[in-house]
Amino acid sequence: MTDTDPGVPEAPADVDLGRVWISVAAQVWRRQPGWLERTAGRLLRSPGLARALLTTPSLLLPWLLTSIAVLAAGAAATTDSGQPLVALVAPAVAAAAIAYAYGPGMDPAWELSCSMAISDRMVLLVRALAVFAVNAVLGLAASAVSASGAAAAVTFGWLIPMTAVCAFALAVATVARSANAGAAAGVAAWLITVLSGRVASGHFAAAVTDTFLFLPYLAIGAVCAAIALYATRIPRGTLR
Amino acid sequence: MDDDDLVARIASGDDAALRELFGRHASWLAVRLRAVLPAADVEDVLQETFLAAWRGAGGYRPQDACGGWLWGIARRQAALLLRRRKPAEQAGTALPADLADRDVPDPAETALARADLEVAIAALGPDGSPEREVWRLMYEQDRPVAEVAELLGVPPGTVKSRAHRVRRLLRAALRDGTAAEGGAR
Amino acid sequence: MNVEITDLTRRFGRNQAVDGVSLQAGPGVFGLLGPNGAGKTTLLRMMATVIPPTTGHLRLLGRDPGAYGPRREVRRRLGYLPQNLGYYPGFTVAEFVEYFALLKEMPAARVPAAVATAVERVDLGGRAKAKLRTLSGGMLRRVGIAQAIVNEPELLLLDEPTAGLDPEQRVNFRALLRDLGQRATVVVSTHLVEDVGAACSQVALMDQGKIVFDATPDELTARGTEQGTGDAPLERGYTAVLAAARS
Repeated sequence: MTDTDPGVPEAPADVDLGRVWISVAAQVWRRQPGWLERTAGRLLRSPGLARALLTTPSLLLPWLLTSIAVLAAGAAATTDSGQPLVALVAPAVAAAAIAYAYGPGMDPAWELSCSMAISDRMVLLVRALAVFAVNAVLGLAASAVSASGAAAAVTFGWLIPMTAVCAFALAVATVARSANAGAAAGVAAWLITVLSGRVASGHFAAAVTDTFLFLPYLAIGAVCAAIALYATRIPRGTLR
Repeated sequence: MDDDDLVARIASGDDAALRELFGRHASWLAVRLRAVLPAADVEDVLQETFLAAWRGAGGYRPQDACGGWLWGIARRQAALLLRRRKPAEQAGTALPADLADRDVPDPAETALARADLEVAIAALGPDGSPEREVWRLMYEQDRPVAEVAELLGVPPGTVKSRAHRVRRLLRAALRDGTAAEGGAR
Repeated sequence: MNVEITDLTRRFGRNQAVDGVSLQAGPGVFGLLGPNGAGKTTLLRMMATVIPPTTGHLRLLGRDPGAYGPRREVRRRLGYLPQNLGYYPGFTVAEFVEYFALLKEMPAARVPAAVATAVERVDLGGRAKAKLRTLSGGMLRRVGIAQAIVNEPELLLLDEPTAGLDPEQRVNFRALLRDLGQRATVVVSTHLVEDVGAACSQVALMDQGKIVFDATPDELTARGTEQGTGDAPLERGYTAVLAAARS
């Protein structure tokens, strides 16, 4: 900034042009957060956490649009066939989304994030909750659109298995330190659950309609959440 | 890349062009402002000037000299700054309401006009050159043409044509707001 | 003293990466030299509070980073550049630096000016709004340095900061280090011995998890006068000390 070409006179000695440029650049280069980020910042009482939240891969537009498309297809299929397909699909979608809220594998600056004042664990917690909430809302919307008659139990019932599957996906992701592993595990676990439900009671929807499964789901969810919490307590050092 | 291209790029959002423009012009603007304002104010005015240039680059027409355009912005910003400050100091001078704002020239404007004039006079040529001498004798010392002609040892017709040239040069310099060193490349 | 380390160890399974390290550092530039695998990166990671030590005492900026509250306070005043820093391709230079400024809990009002200062200090002012995917390796390294210094840290930890920088940029970087070292403790881990000699007031040499030398660069040079191989005086000191430590 102080390079001068011979034709340009020198600034007065007591005027700090460097400082002037910095104050200009500060305004020109600054990023103006959108209303969503500002609101999130106020709610979370932390602009940094809000920014980290809104840069979650699974909360970005492409991901959300894909989720909506998948759930919409499920809703259409449900209306057609009477099978609660939304209820079966939503947990898998949510599980994948939750896994991709996790750092390693998705966050290239992972090690740096581990040295931040806003801890990576806090970021993960807020992201996971937000992703879960968003997917629950999308799923509910798809269910409501395709609900028919006595499907109320199914419309909301799948939220519980979804919690379990999400917690499982997150636990695997944090233990294996890989978002991909978590997503794969979550989707696979859900498929297995649905298929075993089919084998056990003859219909696909058993996984979401059999209320006696709810307690085991919640228990699994709690255990997996505890595992995820423990796995993120101390980031592993074997990063060679 | 010349200044006009830079401003065109600034208008399309190129911040690196603004940085380049700053590098080229901030120095001489600072020098000119410093003649009128204290250092801290010069920094504030320069900051506002370049931010205004960033926002208003779309309104620049290539036939304006870039230096003149920037100086115009700087002038306005300096006047704004001085006007914001001065009211507190003028409170004690109990001017009758009908005189204030009309007959009494604004100190800010006066200071800036003086700075402009000094630069424009410098554009007439070095000290001692024919135009500078005519300016000094005819306009600063208010002598009649005949006396100036005698002092300079030239015919009155020559004095009149030089005076004409002086007025033309001054008008151009004041309009463009540029001095030799700050002009567009 | 900004860094007080006593008998620090760190083990990964059977591998003793850091084996009883003690050192102290106040304001100034502190060089950490050593061959690959010596444990420099692990030591730096512990100082950056990325991983906890297995045993030993660590005090950073007068606080014990073992507890959540003090650790957070340390992290707000810390700058860290890891050896391998990934980047977000779609972010611009200014956005990347701003992101980490926010994560370091800098007051939001101060962030724009701090980002501008950091970006200009690493000489990337002409590319502040360029996307990271368009930058070369050396420029990305400078972006990494910018995010590390954005919060004007009291403790700055740089792991191989000059990787990818050309000689002129390295000269600028050393000037930046000296400037930062006036108020802060800067720890630079590098395998480029010349980097150290020019900027550091104190040098430690690590080998196989232990510190084998801890004094000034001149003293390191002095160790190389008898034996030691290498083209430059510091290099000779370096090899002499290593040879002595391994014999």
